[in-house]
Amino acid sequence: MPVEFPSVAFFEALGREMRSERDRFSRLGFFDTTFGVRVLRDGAPPAEFLLAFEVFDCTAVRAGAPSGADFVLEGPLGAWREMLDAIHRLGAADTAHSINTLTHFGEGLRVRYDDPDGHDKLYRFAESIQEYFDLAARIDFRYPDGSQPPARDGLRARSAS
Amino acid sequence: MSYLSTVDFTEDRAFVDRFRRTMRGDLDLAWLDAPRERVRCAPENPRRGLTFRDLDVGGYGYTEMPEIIRRNRSFAPRGAELPDGLPDLQAEVNRKSEVWAYNVEGYYEEAMSRQWNATTDIPWADLDRTELPEAIGKAYAQLLTFLTEVEMIATDVPAKWMGRLNADFFEVKNFIATQAMDEARHAEIFRKRALSTGWGLMRASAHNEFNLKFLRDADSFAEASLTLHLQAEGMVLTLFRFSEYISPTEGDKKLFRLVMQDEARHVGYGMQHLKWVLDHYPERREAIHRHLDEAENFVFGAGYATEVMEPFIILAGKGLKKENVAEGVRITSAFQLKQSEEYFERLAKCGLPERRERSRLWKMVSLAKQSAAAA
Repeated sequence: MPVEFPSVAFFEALGREMRSERDRFSRLGFFDTTFGVRVLRDGAPPAEFLLAFEVFDCTAVRAGAPSGADFVLEGPLGAWREMLDAIHRLGAADTAHSINTLTHFGEGLRVRYDDPDGHDKLYRFAESIQEYFDLAARIDFRYPDGSQPPARDGLRARSAS
Repeated sequence: MSYLSTVDFTEDRAFVDRFRRTMRGDLDLAWLDAPRERVRCAPENPRRGLTFRDLDVGGYGYTEMPEIIRRNRSFAPRGAELPDGLPDLQAEVNRKSEVWAYNVEGYYEEAMSRQWNATTDIPWADLDRTELPEAIGKAYAQLLTFLTEVEMIATDVPAKWMGRLNADFFEVKNFIATQAMDEARHAEIFRKRALSTGWGLMRASAHNEFNLKFLRDADSFAEASLTLHLQAEGMVLTLFRFSEYISPTEGDKKLFRLVMQDEARHVGYGMQHLKWVLDHYPERREAIHRHLDEAENFVFGAGYATEVMEPFIILAGKGLKKENVAEGVRITSAFQLKQSEEYFERLAKCGLPERRERSRLWKMVSLAKQSAAAA
C-alpha cells in the first residue's frame, strides 16, 4: 500500500529505511539537526513537517508548523515532485535535483531560516540530508492526485546537465 | 638543537641511584597519593559514546576553567597533579576568551564522526569515464587549482597555532587538529580532481596568495580565527555550495557536499568563537573591526581575481560563447552577492550588526548590485 507524499507516513518510511542503512549513516557521522519541510499547494494550506535527527537516526517526525527548526526546506508541490521523481527513477538525485542545487538560488526549493548558524546545518550535514532524501527511491508512494513516481530506470545515466 | 637539558642525567648521582633502586624493586610510589579528583565519567547518551561533554566535571572540565590560565604552563593534561619543576612552555595564548567557542566540544565530536576519505569516498572510476568539453574542463581545472592553493594555507594556519595554545585548552587544540586534517584532505581531493580532469593544474593566483599570506601571518589566534574561520571559510562555504550547484557530474557534486560539511563546521566554530569573544572580552570589538577592515580589503582582491572569477563565469554559463558568458556573469554576480550577504549575516548574528555599514566590501558589493540592476 503506497504512502502519500507529503505525509508523516512518508517521512517515517524514510526514517525506517535510514535505520536499515545503519552502517551507511554511521559512516557519514553524527547527524544532529531538526529541520522543517514545507510543501506549498495550490488552493490549500501548506503541508508542514518537523523532522528531528539525532546521532545516526531520524528520531521524530511530526506534522505542523516547524517552529524551532534550524531551517525549513520550502517549495511548491511541483518542485518536490520533480525532485522525488528523479530520485525514484534514478535511485538517487541527479545533478539537477540535489538539495543544494535546488535551494542554492531558490530556483526549485527555498531555505527559510532565522539563525545563520541553523542555516549552516544544512551544509554541515549536507551528505546525510541528501542520502536521507535519496532513500525515497526505495519507497512505494503516491502523490495527492493519486499518481505515482516513475519506475526505476537502472540503465539511465544520472547526469541531467 | 636549541633547547638543552640543564641536567646531565647520566652523571646525576641522585637520579642514577633512584633508577637503580627502582630496578631492584624498591619503588617510590609517591605518585600513588597524588592529590586529584577521582571520577568515573560515563556516556550520557550510549548511542553517541563517551564525549568530551561527558568529561566536563570539576577540575577536569572546561566549564570551571578560569579566563586566564596562570597555573598550568606545561604539557600537563588539565586535571593532573602539577608537581614542582614542570617546565614553563611559554604558550602564546593563555586567555580562554582568545580561543574558546560555545560548543567547541560538540564541533570536535562531530568532526571526528564525520571524517571521510578522499581516496575511497568519491566515485573516481565514474569521473574517469566523464569527458568534459574543453572550456568546461579547463575552467574546472582552474577552479580546482585555486581551491588547492587555498586549502594548503587553511591546513597550515590551524597547525601553526596548535602548539602555541596553552595545554589546558585541550578541546580547542583537538578541534583545530581535526580542522588541519580536514583542510589537508581538501587540498588532497582538489589536487586529485584537477589531475584527473585531463587538464591538470592551471595557474596560481597572486591576488589570492596575498590574502593567504595575510591569513597565515595574523598576529594573534583571535585574529587568525576571525579571518580564517569566519571570514575566509564563510566565503569559501558559499563558494563550495555554488561549486556544487555548477558541478558537471554527480561525483563532483558529492565531492563538494563532503567538503562543504567540513567547511560549515569550521565556520560554526568561528561564529561561536566570535560570540564568545564579544560576550567575554567586549573591549576587543574595535580591534576586531580594524582587523576586518584589512581582511576585507584582501578578500576583495582575492575573491574577485581574474583566475577565480572567470572559471566561475564559464562553469556557471556552461561555455565560452557570448550567450554562455552573459549567463555566467549573471549567475556569478548572484553568487557574489549571496556570499557577501551571508558573511554579514553571520557577523550580525555574532554581535557585530554594525559591520555592514562600516565595511568597504559591502559598499563595493552594493555598487555591483546597483550596476547589475541598471544593466
